[in-house]
Amino acid sequence: MRSVPLSVARRGCLPWIVGLLVLWIATLAHAQMQGQNDPNPPDVILPEMSAVPVFSAGVAMVNAWQGGQPNLHPLVSPVGLIPIGQNWLIEGRGTFESILIPDPSGPGWKGYLQKEDDYFQLDYIANRYVTVSVGRYITPFGIFNERLYPVWIRNLQSDPLILPISTGPSGAGTGAMARGGFNLTPKVELNYATYFSTEVTTSPFDSDRNWGFRTGIFLPGPRLEVGGSFQHLLQDDHSNAFGFHFAWQPTALPLDIRAEYARSSNGSGYWVESAYRLSQVPVWRNEFRHVQVVGRMQQFYVGKVASDSLSSVNTNLCEFGLNYYFRDDIRFVSSYGRQFAPEGGNQNIWTVGVTYRLALPIGHGDFR
Amino acid sequence: MSARRLILMGASMVAAILALGPRAALAQHAEKQASSSATSSASAGSGGSVMNDEDLRIEGEKRFHTNCGRCHQSPHKLPPRMILTIERHMRVRGMLTQEDMRAVVAFLTQ
Repeated sequence: MRSVPLSVARRGCLPWIVGLLVLWIATLAHAQMQGQNDPNPPDVILPEMSAVPVFSAGVAMVNAWQGGQPNLHPLVSPVGLIPIGQNWLIEGRGTFESILIPDPSGPGWKGYLQKEDDYFQLDYIANRYVTVSVGRYITPFGIFNERLYPVWIRNLQSDPLILPISTGPSGAGTGAMARGGFNLTPKVELNYATYFSTEVTTSPFDSDRNWGFRTGIFLPGPRLEVGGSFQHLLQDDHSNAFGFHFAWQPTALPLDIRAEYARSSNGSGYWVESAYRLSQVPVWRNEFRHVQVVGRMQQFYVGKVASDSLSSVNTNLCEFGLNYYFRDDIRFVSSYGRQFAPEGGNQNIWTVGVTYRLALPIGHGDFR
Repeated sequence: MSARRLILMGASMVAAILALGPRAALAQHAEKQASSSATSSASAGSGGSVMNDEDLRIEGEKRFHTNCGRCHQSPHKLPPRMILTIERHMRVRGMLTQEDMRAVVAFLTQ
């Protein structure tokens, strides 16, 4: 067993102590507020019924041609949700995927199965301000990793170039997190997530030792969100990373604009994505309302410290996508991208595929 | 991970749950009381702050599009018994406010 020097142990305690102190003070203040006057009395009477466990899965089959080289990318990503009582939830998601390339020694394709544990966490909804999660969680840095990563949600199937910045070796952390969203005023919502992760080197549960937070302001009226993320690495070069995110879905248009910027010692960059659903086209409405056009521009700049999961050269990438929604849970996806990079890195990237999402109850549940 | 770190993490989690649990229970108790008094006032025909079905549908649908519609398409038809679980999941994942969650659940289970 590896021994930990006392100074290191003390340094490791600090984020925990500070985090717990903040939690304790917040809940204490909130409990006092509850006792005096509830600022948001419930005005919605819900039907009383028991929550049941849910099994869900995202399934995708995407073919890509990168620089003329074809590959097949089948993926299954099962999600399990187990509610306990009124305030607890166990949730987990795994990913089974393979990247198949043509077998040079004969007909057919070859590849191997990759297994990933995206998250497996226990959530406790303590009150309207705080939810505590422990276990393995998706690192809340920026918006793509946590909100837009599933294949059936993302508008373009390729990952943003800056995604590996500060999301760790597997996009997840192992430890604890406090998070929540609440109204500051009727027209302004605040959301936040603060976390501490310990180092795990066993694949597929690997994670870095770090702490950080993300916070955002959401305006429900114009459906506009801006926010920022910060992370401090507690290993290797003990570097800091930060990022900003922006999302806007104007109410008058079926338009979705998102952007992210991230910077760390491994590199920096941004992406800007716009997706437009053709539901307002005055002709062939029944057909066009299923069609979505997407455009994304991204740039990545190499940092001082090289990283295996990031591009090794400065890279620009423009992508255009066309998606067709058969239903809200099954769609055809396609895209074309042009990558610009030095030393012969210019190439075309094509993708064609189908994504599907299913959700099933486990058990019946009953009205109380 | 060293044993010391595991113990530290476990102790911190227990402390956090112990710190939060009783206070949340008190808050929920107060909330339930407010909720039941609202139900009583509605059943007595006094109106009060309880929404009627149509207002609730409109408010829930609006909040669905404002929050859920940022990542998801049109309302997905799911059995009502799944909605509570999924909304609990989305409250954590999407950081929905408690008010948004209640309105969306009411809308989707109508």
